[in-house]
Amino acid sequence: MQRQLIAFQAVLFRNVIELKRYAFNTISMLVSLYVMFMILFFGLQRLGGAALAAGDTLEGLLVGYLLWTMAIMAYSELSWDLNAQAQVGTLEQLYISPIGFGRLNAYSLLCNLVLQFGYAAIILAVLMVSTGKYLHVDLVSIVPLFIVTLMSAYGVGFAVGGLALIYKRIQAFFSIFQFVFLAFLTLPWAQFPWARFLPLSMGNALLREVMIHGRRIWELDPTHLMVLVGTGVFYLALGIMAFAWSERIARDKGLLGHY
Amino acid sequence: MLEVSHLSKVFVSGKNKVKAVDDVSFVVNRGEIVGLLGPNGAGKTTTIKSVLGITRPSAGSIKVGGFDPFAEPSKALSLVAAVLEGSRNIYWRMTTWENIVFFAGIHGVSHKIEKNYFDHLIETFKLVDKRSTEVRQLSQGMKQKVAICCALVKKTPLVFLDEPTVGLDIETSYELRGILKELAATEARTMVVSSHDMAVIQDICQRVIIMSGGRVIADDKIDDLLAVFRSRNYKIAIGKVLDNDVVEHLRKRFNDVEVQLRERKTNITINLPSAGDLYALMDFLREHNIDLETINQQDPDLEKAFVALVRKERERCNGNS
Ligand SMILES: Nc1ncnc2c1ncn2[C@@H]1O[C@H](COP(=O)(O)OP(=O)(O)O)[C@@H](O)[C@H]1O
Ligand SMILES: [Mg+2]
Repeated sequence: MQRQLIAFQAVLFRNVIELKRYAFNTISMLVSLYVMFMILFFGLQRLGGAALAAGDTLEGLLVGYLLWTMAIMAYSELSWDLNAQAQVGTLEQLYISPIGFGRLNAYSLLCNLVLQFGYAAIILAVLMVSTGKYLHVDLVSIVPLFIVTLMSAYGVGFAVGGLALIYKRIQAFFSIFQFVFLAFLTLPWAQFPWARFLPLSMGNALLREVMIHGRRIWELDPTHLMVLVGTGVFYLALGIMAFAWSERIARDKGLLGHY
Repeated sequence: MLEVSHLSKVFVSGKNKVKAVDDVSFVVNRGEIVGLLGPNGAGKTTTIKSVLGITRPSAGSIKVGGFDPFAEPSKALSLVAAVLEGSRNIYWRMTTWENIVFFAGIHGVSHKIEKNYFDHLIETFKLVDKRSTEVRQLSQGMKQKVAICCALVKKTPLVFLDEPTVGLDIETSYELRGILKELAATEARTMVVSSHDMAVIQDICQRVIIMSGGRVIADDKIDDLLAVFRSRNYKIAIGKVLDNDVVEHLRKRFNDVEVQLRERKTNITINLPSAGDLYALMDFLREHNIDLETINQQDPDLEKAFVALVRKERERCNGNS
């Protein structure tokens, strides 16, 4: 127990230091996310309703964008960061920790999830002020919804991160998932009924209800909530299984390092 | 402390098969400083990574302090720390101290409790004024020192250093060897140091396991290994130039002879595997009426022993296949 606490503190320590050292990168990421959204927002506002998919509103765009950025942040820790660590050899050091790589990774994801909520809050606040579109920020409802929704993004991250252990040079492939996530968020259920079972999709719908229409989490349709939890658990479990499978191959082939 | 028995590892990629480790067995006892010596590609890194549980062996068994690193990873790994070859092992964007805190931490060792020991190591490795410097700004040698510190702060009974001096300039390598030697003497730890450079092993270790082509070809105390070679190689000086037919004779009579004819003397380097051979040589010289000026046992040299052993092993392999 004592050891776990020390290890958790160490991971937190590292992540906070990295945050500070890479502050410039973080700020430029936040700024470009902001600029990108403003271009999107004013572009669509000029074009008017015609450009927006049925039932979509500018508020909806804001919710979707927020979820999209959080999903990408969640996903990239498992893909980019893991790949980078495998390349330079720190990953092997994590693997020879008696705490276990799985635990250390979980601690790290947990620390960064908190950070990501921080970023999201900043982005949301600035975007609301800039666009004049104010959303309902009911933390009791949105925090659990975000967490469960992001589980599926983590699942995708685990699967891709596992592949990256075996195929070292698939970084180009990582960024494709930004668009895949976009597709998950925008596929209309009316035309594609199965789309609601895709990662992020149901979460996006429920977050809109909460953030745009001001409903509380317990006022949401229980079947929808069940689908949300079910898909979240399913994709996360699938991702972790895929990762474990890749890990085994990497151990067999001696690929946890940078051979 | 460490027991490796019949360890084999075959890397398969497509149709290619590489036998990196081939039926390797050895035991390392508590407190020993063992060298793992062998040319590049001998299988040293693969052996170490198997012991650490990051490369799965094809066959054989490994016990670290009695625990199998694959069946009971957390028990086995709590006993070991390692600096692996050719990788950074540490975070370049973090400082010396931050890396130390982190790597001790993920081993469950708190920097608050062990601060004195951490400081002592930083001092030993002469990193005091680099404590708050980001590692990326340090020289190659200092980075390596930080990486070794990060392994040592875990206070594990068993430490692996894979090619600790590779890529360092001669001076830095020499300094690091000195520090490691001192550590080996002052700390009651078991260490396994791998290298393709015998000088490093000869400097730090008491015992050496020599690997070549994935196999162990010698496993002995360094002194014993040197003694074997010391007793075999002689340098002989003779106060006259030997006739050609005598030289021919000598070459026929003894296997491993090198003759250098000088202006007014002859130098002979000769390998005499047993005491009987030495007497045979004396008889030979007497028969030909040759007076010895000096006879010297050659300085022991692990490098010669190593090269000879590796050559023999290669010949054996080629003979087999
Ligand atoms: N992950 C790997 N995949 C395929 N072949 C490998 C891998 N790692 C090592 N090898 C091969 O196995 C042999 C032994 O390598 P290694 O253990 O690194 O030797 P050493 O550390 O003694 O230089 C070499 O021929 C090397 O090319
Ligand atoms: Mg090696």
